[in-house]
Amino acid sequence: MDVKALIIILMSSVLVDNYVLNRFLGICPFLGVSKKVNQSVGMGAAVIFVMLVATAVTWPIQTFILNPLNMGYMQTIAFILIIATLVQFIEIFLKKVIPALHKSLGVYLPLITTNCAVLGVTINNITDGYNFLESMISSLGVGLGFLLAMVLFSGMRSRIEESEVPESFKGLPVTLVAASFISMAFFGFAGIVENILA
Amino acid sequence: MKNYIKSIISLTVIIALVTVALAATNYVTAPIIEKNAGAAANEALLVVMPDGGDFTPVDMTQYTLPESVLEAYTASNGGCVVKLSATGYGPDMIIMCGVDADGNVTGAVCLSSNETLGAEKTYGDTLKGAKIDTVEDIATVSGATMTTGAYKGAVKDALNTAIILGGGSVDIRTPEQILADNLAVALPAGDGKFTSMFICEVLENVSAVYSADNEKGLVFVTKSGEEDLFVGVDENGAVVSNVPDDVKTNIENAAKIMMASKLTEVDISGYDNMPANVDKVSKTESGNYVIEVHASGWGMGIGDEAQYDPNLSNEPIYIKVAMTKDGKIISCITVKQAETEGLGSVCANPDFYTQYNGKDETNYKDIAISGATFTTKGYRTGVGKAFEAVKILEGVA
Amino acid sequence: MSKQNNMSILLKGLLRENPVFVLILGTCPTLATTSTVDGALGMGLATMAVLICSNIVISLLRKFIPDTVRIPCYIVVIAGFVTIVQMLIQAFIPDLYKTLGVYLALITVNCIILGRAEMFAGKNSVGKSALDGIGMGIGFTIALLSMSIIREVIGTGSFAGNEISFLVENGLTIGFLAKAPGGLLVYGLLIAVVNKITKGKLIKKKEFSCAGCPSAEACNGSCAEAVKEGE
Repeated sequence: MDVKALIIILMSSVLVDNYVLNRFLGICPFLGVSKKVNQSVGMGAAVIFVMLVATAVTWPIQTFILNPLNMGYMQTIAFILIIATLVQFIEIFLKKVIPALHKSLGVYLPLITTNCAVLGVTINNITDGYNFLESMISSLGVGLGFLLAMVLFSGMRSRIEESEVPESFKGLPVTLVAASFISMAFFGFAGIVENILA
Repeated sequence: MKNYIKSIISLTVIIALVTVALAATNYVTAPIIEKNAGAAANEALLVVMPDGGDFTPVDMTQYTLPESVLEAYTASNGGCVVKLSATGYGPDMIIMCGVDADGNVTGAVCLSSNETLGAEKTYGDTLKGAKIDTVEDIATVSGATMTTGAYKGAVKDALNTAIILGGGSVDIRTPEQILADNLAVALPAGDGKFTSMFICEVLENVSAVYSADNEKGLVFVTKSGEEDLFVGVDENGAVVSNVPDDVKTNIENAAKIMMASKLTEVDISGYDNMPANVDKVSKTESGNYVIEVHASGWGMGIGDEAQYDPNLSNEPIYIKVAMTKDGKIISCITVKQAETEGLGSVCANPDFYTQYNGKDETNYKDIAISGATFTTKGYRTGVGKAFEAVKILEGVA
Repeated sequence: MSKQNNMSILLKGLLRENPVFVLILGTCPTLATTSTVDGALGMGLATMAVLICSNIVISLLRKFIPDTVRIPCYIVVIAGFVTIVQMLIQAFIPDLYKTLGVYLALITVNCIILGRAEMFAGKNSVGKSALDGIGMGIGFTIALLSMSIIREVIGTGSFAGNEISFLVENGLTIGFLAKAPGGLLVYGLLIAVVNKITKGKLIKKKEFSCAGCPSAEACNGSCAEAVKEGE
């Protein structure tokens, strides 16, 4: 396996093709749970965890069950049910086995069921024709990208909370404008990956 | 409990119903989607060959085409369109290339890729009109050498495919495959597995020696006019290839020398003035030296004579030189290097280091890599230190 | 069921409970597909189709679906319709399929649809649910269209793919509006405008809260709790 190709997949999904800031997947938790840095880290960690587990389950299901049966059209239904079930299982498991981890991640888990970034990354891994390892790396990268965006943005938000904002901009509008700036900053990463490794 | 079962049943029923509905829709739409894909593909074929007319898929099993070719179509105007896969920065760069009946590229597009810079999106335009003998001259895009280089390679494969489809024959083997084929023919007993040998004896007219991994003999590469001649020798030193008598005698002599050759390591710790670049010295029974040196390439190079400085260079170039006791290079090889890819890394290329073969202290400085001054200087210093080491060991310095 | 009542069900989605600008649901497709008018219209109509169908079916099934597996059943129905719409678009409008890409499949997790199923269709008659679906669908489509018109006209100087030469020649386009950051910016500005115009008359929904969240049931308010904890 070409390590370089894996690094490129990882780096581009963290920086260049950031799901939140470039593809707009997972915007809801990005805007909803990014008020404080510790929440952002918790949410980000939970997303990475769920993405990895979801990919580890959905990729074999697509490759070894749906494709041979010619039932590619069941992809969306199968994946969303798998993700929803997985999240439930993970929550129950964490609660029973690692209560400490459940305490820090648990509250974010149910929110992830309808996080389109998780469904998005599992589907994209299939459409992009990644093998299992590449899929896992890509999911890790997407999750890390999500965490990075969340943490950076929570820093930005704590500044906004303290500033005077026009009445109609209070709340969500100014948050979106701020998100626009951070998305613009991520534009600077375009093309960087090939150049770094060249 | 009853509720529990009811829940499961209703969820199962709903999933079953939805599956049936989906299967029905799929039954209706799947042929249309397939037809669309076909139409889209034909349209894509027209992009690279606007006056191609109708296209017929080529039965790939009928021809031996380059490995990169995924699909090929012949156009009603006599040309062909080839779909290829190339590995640039990422895997699976899919390229479609049209070649007309005269062997000119009519167009090339990148259908999908995992490249990061986007150079592949427009690079195809620069290749329009290229022929098999001009395609190499078209410049790659600097900063995206990997992408555009792979692109060019794919287009070259497409041009070769056009020749093959037109009934011509092209050697589509890579240099490695050609070498492997030649070796296998020269010594069938070698089972196709050979390792290049480092020559540390003076052998006349021999440019390379390969030993069979199963120890069934050696293959000598010698010149016969302009062509390289591969001569197999079995484990008893007898030539097994069909060659002229003079060549046979020469190679049998060479084989005798090679088979008798034995290296003994020389202890260099006793020589105070031995250059720090010299890592290891061995001696053959015939009195030749094999000197292993390291030299610093890119990352240093102050003054004319580059000195190895462990503080400046993280990765030296490791060189192995075989030399007669009177200071003539028998063979030279780059063992390991970490120079700039595409520039200094040329020093790992056999075409580069074999230039040193036969050189002595008066003329070894003629060899250089253009565009890689530091690598050249470092390499030159490394080889120079080998000469110095031999002089010290022979007691003439 | 009075006529007035039906009318208000249909119309509330347009502005008073506009899913995009007031309920802040379905932000992902709103941002992702509005760089062109074509994409926005396609996404709006596709979502509307799924919304109407799923609302009708869920309303029909509401008496048969046990409460405990309500959400999974809704998700299956929705994902089913999404896949059907996806296959139909792929077969009959392949260009649109290419434009929308993975976002078509992601209609499944568009909060608007599950949200309406949970908040409306699961509790109301078939007719009302269909009207609700139409109203919300139109509201969503209009919101997407308005965003995409701003982004495409000012961003790339074209409308539905047709170049507006006046803008392009005079260099009056602001390219970044058509890119990712522009989507966030225009969305923020439009919400602010809607806030300004309708101040005081709308449901206040400037922040995310459990009211509009379809996963509120599963989450049991832990999201709000988490937010509180953080503070």
